[in-house]
Amino acid sequence: MKTLVTVKRVPDPESTIRVKPDGSGIVTENVKYVINPFDEIAIEEALRIKEKQGGGEVVLVSIGAKVVSEQLRTGLAMGADRAIFVACEQELDSLAVARLLAKIVERENPELLVMGKQAIDDDANQAGQMLAALLGWPQATFASKLEFSADQKSVQVTREVDGGLETIGFALPGVITADLRLNEPRYASLPGIMKARKKEIKEISVSELGVDITSRLKIQKLTPPAKKQGGKKVETVQALVDLLHTEAKVI
Amino acid sequence: MNPFPGFTLSPELELLRDQVRRIVHDEIIPAEKRVDPDAEDLAEEDYHRIVAKTKAAGLWSLAAPEQYGGGGVNTFGMSVILEEMSQHRMGLYNPGCGVFGRYPPPVIYGGSEEQIQKYAVPTLRAGSYTFFAITEPSGGSDPAGSIQCRAVRDGDTWVLNGTKIFISHAHEANWGVVFVRTDPTKGRKGISCLIIDQGTPGFTARPFRTIRTVSLPNEVSFEDCRVPAANMIGKEGDGLDLCMDLLTKQRFPYSACNLGVARAAHRLAVAHAKQRSTFGVPLSQRQAIQWMLADAEVELRATRYLIWDGAWKADRGEDARVEASVAKLYSSEMLGRVIDNAVQIHGGYGVTKEFPLERWYREARVRRIGEGPSEVHRMVIARALFR
Ligand SMILES: Cc1cc2nc3c(=O)[nH]c(=O)nc-3n(C[C@H](O)[C@H](O)[C@H](O)COP(=O)(O)OP(=O)(O)OC[C@H]3O[C@@H](n4cnc5c(N)ncnc54)[C@H](O)[C@@H]3O)c2cc1C
Ligand SMILES: Cc1cc2nc3c(=O)[nH]c(=O)nc-3n(C[C@H](O)[C@H](O)[C@H](O)COP(=O)(O)OP(=O)(O)OC[C@H]3O[C@@H](n4cnc5c(N)ncnc54)[C@H](O)[C@@H]3O)c2cc1C
Repeated sequence: MKTLVTVKRVPDPESTIRVKPDGSGIVTENVKYVINPFDEIAIEEALRIKEKQGGGEVVLVSIGAKVVSEQLRTGLAMGADRAIFVACEQELDSLAVARLLAKIVERENPELLVMGKQAIDDDANQAGQMLAALLGWPQATFASKLEFSADQKSVQVTREVDGGLETIGFALPGVITADLRLNEPRYASLPGIMKARKKEIKEISVSELGVDITSRLKIQKLTPPAKKQGGKKVETVQALVDLLHTEAKVI
Repeated sequence: MNPFPGFTLSPELELLRDQVRRIVHDEIIPAEKRVDPDAEDLAEEDYHRIVAKTKAAGLWSLAAPEQYGGGGVNTFGMSVILEEMSQHRMGLYNPGCGVFGRYPPPVIYGGSEEQIQKYAVPTLRAGSYTFFAITEPSGGSDPAGSIQCRAVRDGDTWVLNGTKIFISHAHEANWGVVFVRTDPTKGRKGISCLIIDQGTPGFTARPFRTIRTVSLPNEVSFEDCRVPAANMIGKEGDGLDLCMDLLTKQRFPYSACNLGVARAAHRLAVAHAKQRSTFGVPLSQRQAIQWMLADAEVELRATRYLIWDGAWKADRGEDARVEASVAKLYSSEMLGRVIDNAVQIHGGYGVTKEFPLERWYREARVRRIGEGPSEVHRMVIARALFR
């Protein structure tokens, strides 16, 4: 099976994120970047599918500045076969990303697309859904387990939904977005790292794909989350509800 | 002129370093929290669970030669990697808690293929401890002059008599190497190196306690201890020479452990200074504290380049003995200073077992004595100045 996996470069969740004083973005100096953790789970799943089926191809795709090749190399070192890099310096909204990816899918014709359920930087959680809609493909988001039919023409996906698990099935091709419990990603191996050097990262420009990437979204301002205050103990549920209403003003 | 663009790590080495960093952070540090702060090793089940992952990822025995199942990573590569691998509580004397493998004494590679296959290869595979016995009660700084442990040839065995001291792991390792005097008339050239199996009659190891509560050193005694002549590494009288080059190379990753632990301590100190206030002001705003941390930052950066510079030379096959002494001396003394300040900045918390600082502080003290005390390395450096 040929699987396409999307890879986004995001700030390391372990690093301290500071918002620029003018709220226009985050301070990027000294921030380490990693593969979006959900994308890493997606890569792992694609590799397991390939290993289990004893063949196929895992192709990574990332959109962004030249530096995203670092994350693509990491994915190749984990075991993916090759990578596509769509060069784009500007900030993109989810729809632009989905449109670019749709063009890549047209060129690559994968049988399966595995993506992260969301990127941990903007937490938008919509690229997968939008892409499936643009392609007219079935989608299964928040996947925690996949089971392919014997002929590998369809898949049963267990999804983590509010209040429990849901299993849905569809005929391939389709889009799956990975949730946290789908698997535990492997470490890139030393032989894998050495082999990754020779694997192809193909660069494609946005103009080649002929997609309108004008953003429909504008980020007005970023603000850091409010500083944590010390906790408070209350005697009754009623007192808690009152405080949530009068003091915290959240209900 | 072609201006030098500066040093950058290869993407492969960066990736490898990141994998090691991640395993330390995600696997080792949590597992370390499940054992006593003074523990020597991880719990068996944690160790085996993590080893399964490192082995699957080919991150096992990275420094060992490829033909013996290792990763073939060179001295420079290992220096970069050990700077990461040591950044946890047990990291100074047990980097990575052994989940990336453990190495036999490098002198074994001066031995025959048969000896390497019989001793080095199974040890690399199992990641077990070995010992390296050179120091004697008569003194460790000058082995060529002070080794008195005698080996006398009798047919196809050597008969050993004498005492070694401070021999780490000698009571628990399957085997080790010992440096003995085979010819009392020849000075340095009268010292040979033998492989000793645990359990050889006449070999006794008695562990004793030091400031370093792990990797216990031993008093080792030989009483008419018979060792097969086939266990000699290299030729008779080659003992000290055959390990010089290998020991020199080992100093750089060793120094990188000092650097790694110092960096980890420094990071804790910076974080603590930011969040701790006294007299209504964060410690990070006090010049007394700032200067401690600024000095540490400078020394950490300097140490890295001293290690890298020597490791590059060693990998190019150049004589790096002075560089090895410079790196060993500076990194171990720097570690002492950085840890001492990190403990001080933490106040009372610095000496509790809640933080790894007190263990690093104690173990760091040994780093200025073991593997050649500071004075001996200064002597080596000074000798080169006056040559
Ligand atoms: C915990 C621990 C583990 C050890 N593990 C091992 C091991 O596994 N295998 C092993 O073989 N050894 C081991 N050692 C021994 C270690 O290598 C020696 O302690 C070290 O070489 C110093 O030797 P020494 O203790 O006999 O001191 P000495 O040689 O007696 O030196 C005493 C002091 O005098 C200084 N000094 C010596 N000569 C000069 C000089 N010319 N000029 C100025 N000052 C000088 C030294 O620097 C030192 O400070 C270990 C030691 C410790 C503490
Ligand atoms: C084993 C042990 C036993 C103890 N027993 C007792 C006991 O019986 N009773 C008791 O009351 N306490 C006891 N203590 C606590 C001890 O007195 C405190 O640890 C000590 O007063 C330091 O306070 P702190 O640990 O909160 O450090 P902090 O006050 O947080 O200080 C941390 C560091 O910052 C430095 N610093 C603080 N202010 C400034 C400044 N303005 N400018 C520059 N540097 C500054 C300090 O010198 C220190 O190095 C004990 C501590 C230990 C470790």
